[in-house]
Amino acid sequence: MTAELELRRVSKVFGSGPTEVQALRDVDLRVEAGELVAVMGPSGSGKSTLLTIAGTLEEPTSGEVAVAGREVSRLSRNDRARLRRHSVGYVFQDFNLLAGLTAVENVALPLELDGVGARAAAASGLEALERMGLSEQADRYPDELSGGERQRVAIARAVVGERRVVLADEPTGALDSVNGEAVMRLLRAACQRGVAGVVVTHDAQLASWADRVVFLRDGRVVDQTGTSPGVESLLAPGPSS
Amino acid sequence: MTSTGAAPPRGRTSDIGGVPARRAVMRWAWRMFRREWRQQLLVLALLTVALVATTVGAGLAANAGYSLAATFGTANRLVTLSGSDPSLAADIAAMKRGFGTVEVIEHQRVAVPGSANPIDLRAQDPRGVYSHPMLRLDAGRYPSGPDEVAVTAGVAAIFNLRIGDVWQQLGHRRRVVGVVENPLDLLDKFALVAPGQTGPSDQVTILIQATARMLDAAPLINGAEVEIRPSTPGASATVAVLILATIGLLFIGLVAVAGFTVMAGRRLRALGMLGAIGANDRHVRLALLANGAAVGAVAAVTGTAVGMVAWFAFAPRLEAIVEHRIDRFDLPWWAIATAMVLAVVTAIAAAWWPARSASRIPIVAALSGRPVRPRPAHRFAAMGGVLLLAGVGALALSHQTRPLLIVTGIVATTLGMLFLAPVGIAGLAAVGRRSPIGARLALRDLARYQARSGAALAAVSLAVGIAAAIVISSAASQAAAAVPSSRGTLPSSQLIVWLSPHGGLGGGVPELTAAQLQTAQTQVNAIATSLHARFTLALDGALDPTVPNVQGGPGDSTAGKPIVELGKAHHKVEGGKNVTEFTDRESIPLFVATPAVLAHYGIGSGDVDPTADILTSRTGLSINQSRTSSSGYQLIGISGRQEGGHLRVQMVKLPTFTSDPTTLITAHALHTLGLTSVPVGWLIQTPQSLAAAQIEDARRLAVAAGVSVEARPTQASLSQLRTDATAAGVLVALGVLAMTVGLIRSETARDLRTLAATGASSTTRRTLTGATAGSLALLGAFLGTAGGYLALIAWYHGKLDVLRHVPVADLAVILAGLPVAAVTAGWLLAGREPPAIARQPLE
Repeated sequence: MTAELELRRVSKVFGSGPTEVQALRDVDLRVEAGELVAVMGPSGSGKSTLLTIAGTLEEPTSGEVAVAGREVSRLSRNDRARLRRHSVGYVFQDFNLLAGLTAVENVALPLELDGVGARAAAASGLEALERMGLSEQADRYPDELSGGERQRVAIARAVVGERRVVLADEPTGALDSVNGEAVMRLLRAACQRGVAGVVVTHDAQLASWADRVVFLRDGRVVDQTGTSPGVESLLAPGPSS
Repeated sequence: MTSTGAAPPRGRTSDIGGVPARRAVMRWAWRMFRREWRQQLLVLALLTVALVATTVGAGLAANAGYSLAATFGTANRLVTLSGSDPSLAADIAAMKRGFGTVEVIEHQRVAVPGSANPIDLRAQDPRGVYSHPMLRLDAGRYPSGPDEVAVTAGVAAIFNLRIGDVWQQLGHRRRVVGVVENPLDLLDKFALVAPGQTGPSDQVTILIQATARMLDAAPLINGAEVEIRPSTPGASATVAVLILATIGLLFIGLVAVAGFTVMAGRRLRALGMLGAIGANDRHVRLALLANGAAVGAVAAVTGTAVGMVAWFAFAPRLEAIVEHRIDRFDLPWWAIATAMVLAVVTAIAAAWWPARSASRIPIVAALSGRPVRPRPAHRFAAMGGVLLLAGVGALALSHQTRPLLIVTGIVATTLGMLFLAPVGIAGLAAVGRRSPIGARLALRDLARYQARSGAALAAVSLAVGIAAAIVISSAASQAAAAVPSSRGTLPSSQLIVWLSPHGGLGGGVPELTAAQLQTAQTQVNAIATSLHARFTLALDGALDPTVPNVQGGPGDSTAGKPIVELGKAHHKVEGGKNVTEFTDRESIPLFVATPAVLAHYGIGSGDVDPTADILTSRTGLSINQSRTSSSGYQLIGISGRQEGGHLRVQMVKLPTFTSDPTTLITAHALHTLGLTSVPVGWLIQTPQSLAAAQIEDARRLAVAAGVSVEARPTQASLSQLRTDATAAGVLVALGVLAMTVGLIRSETARDLRTLAATGASSTTRRTLTGATAGSLALLGAFLGTAGGYLALIAWYHGKLDVLRHVPVADLAVILAGLPVAAVTAGWLLAGREPPAIARQPLE
């Protein structure tokens, strides 16, 4: 299978001298299309740094990163921005929707930034919202939505267009358990449509939605394991669907 | 690894997003502006006020001045002929042949019982091809028959006339059929009759539209005086308003930099999010620039609209003040449009630096809301130094006359201050390292958030700099005024009472009867007595009896004949012909060398060459009466037939003050040129320098007598100017501090919560705010004063000795009083815990 996201011997050092912090040490990670990987670990283990480097928001101190088949280190700042518009979707713990835009405008924004006309982008955005069950809330502003709805809008924005990688940093951290489960189900569904997903979480129950769990400690991958099929897998659509 | 890349989405137009991306970013910026305009109220309000002031100011500049159309109508030349000229009809016919369409207005004087000022009986066509703007019908109708007249409200009041009344004047009974006015000169008192109905006229004015070439080609008419319509004076006043608006907007721009920096900080996470979903640096910059443009555009539209409303409300009052009608829509729209564009440009320029900084913040840092570390202050210092030098250089090269260089100099000096401000702030923070916690924290925060504190400091420095420049230069003027031997209009112990109500010799001197002259002399004696004068010297001027009376002066259509002066001839080519022009600035008053004047200045009759025409203390004065002369001075105010060659000039010892008799015309010249001597004023010498109150008393007496007074500006008035400038500078600086300290402290609200949680009392809170305001005020006072001195050194680079006089008291108020006032105000106002801080949870 093709790896949509690949990190090879990635290290990240913050600061220098006495204030130096080694956030990641020689991390290898490969996520295939349609695969959902959960990243777990204690605070300060480098989970969020891993995600920002995977999403081209930060550059590694050493090592290589490839997203959607493109070597990130060879890209300019603008090319990385273009890569994010085309291929990478982000979901954050605190939703990070733009307050001045409606739900559908938030979802359509990456497409508009990529040069798609407002009408075509809105149509794509509406389609993504429908998949999240939010077509009724399309014209509402973020502060008129509940926390769960906001996170579903954020997921819709992360998968709109032809995104190939979705990165979620504690996407359920600000939600109750019911909404948390719903968010994971949507991420899982997105992956089943061929998107490669990486989810950072502290919650083992939610991590069980992933195909694989990666454990980080002090910036190193200390363990990788596949998850046993739980009750959640019964809810997922079968191969024939 | 092979690059596969993602397929571009359907409908994509550009690799960087093109128009759809820009539109999306601007839409977001506009929505954010609509949601958060209250947070930008300070910048919005300042820009709006600037536009209101500019709109009203432009209206005033364009309409407050005297309109030349009140005299010329739409014509560009005004020819005055004596009504008693036997060849008048032939002259008018010749002008018609030479210039095509001409318009003739006849005038006859009508005496007013008990008044020295007659009114004008005027025969003028209401539909006159050139004069129609000079007439407006307020009631009734225009006169059409030989026995009809329309009068102005002033004439109606004098003669107690109403429409329908019969007015008998000069042996002619006329029925009043209307009330008229000259809408461009409401003081113009006249009675209007139909063309050709004045009877024998005293004077005839002819309006023509002619080029200089046509005028030169026309045959000379004996006794005719031609006035050339000068270029519109309103434009320069409008440009001055625009220059002031530019300086004001520059000042506001500095405050706006601080405001937009705070806004960028508040939106940092959203901007990080924008970057995370694929916006590039340009998109992030555009988001903040679009916000700036929105602020500027809304302020420009609101300010102009409010300014228009204010102008419409004020215009009727202005009409009463300036004594002419005002067309509400006759505004310099180009100036208003320019000011609107300047407001938008100011807001965008102010947003540029915060936008540039925000676009350079790493996305992860922006998402976490962490501001970047400020750049070392010394990096700005070099640019600041270069700009300051460039500004000072531009001011020096302007030679006080070139507006472009003056504005460039002010802008560059201000920007130089902006870039030098971080150095000052960093230095202050370093000095305050060992100060108590409140002050230490305040100084460190100023250095941490140097983008906004630097902008605030530059604004304070600019306010102080302008005040300091006024204070220093007025001190120089005051010192110069105190020196008795220095140059100027008059010594401080002299005063001139002019017969002309407008002062000086320009504009003509009223022709007084012997009784009226006696009355004026009595008033002058009263003024001299009240001043304990040493002596009073009567001053005479020379006039050419063949020259017609001065016409159309503001508020006085019968100002008498012009007094002969010396004017510097400037020759230029217009329409292929040589044209000679004179400017008021270069004219030299000419007094008659009466025996009393000669005796007063110690010139005996034997000292004067009997063939000398002019006696003067001015070296190198050359007078050539030839029309084609290309150099030197000429006599102005005499008729064409007096043209001749060189006048003989003799150097004598006379005063050097410009309003004193520096140049005299001899009895020999009067005789040769056919001029007559008339009283023009009195020079009063007092034993010591005149006080402001004495001059004011003299002025009051003069106004009551219908004459005017000229004196040297007193030290008291310059002291008042200094006090006013100091107070204004301190108040504006305190206002800027009040507006910006809140912005600066808002970023550190979290620190206040932590301080409160660790047991800090309100004293610490007060110290924080007081130290922030005080340190900014102190730095601003020093930078502003230094900048003011630098600018003045550049301004007076040829005569630096004028800056030797240091206004110690005023500068002490600025340098010490401003910081103390800022600390006190900050201390007093910061006592209460802000509710926003109180509500925040402790982290």
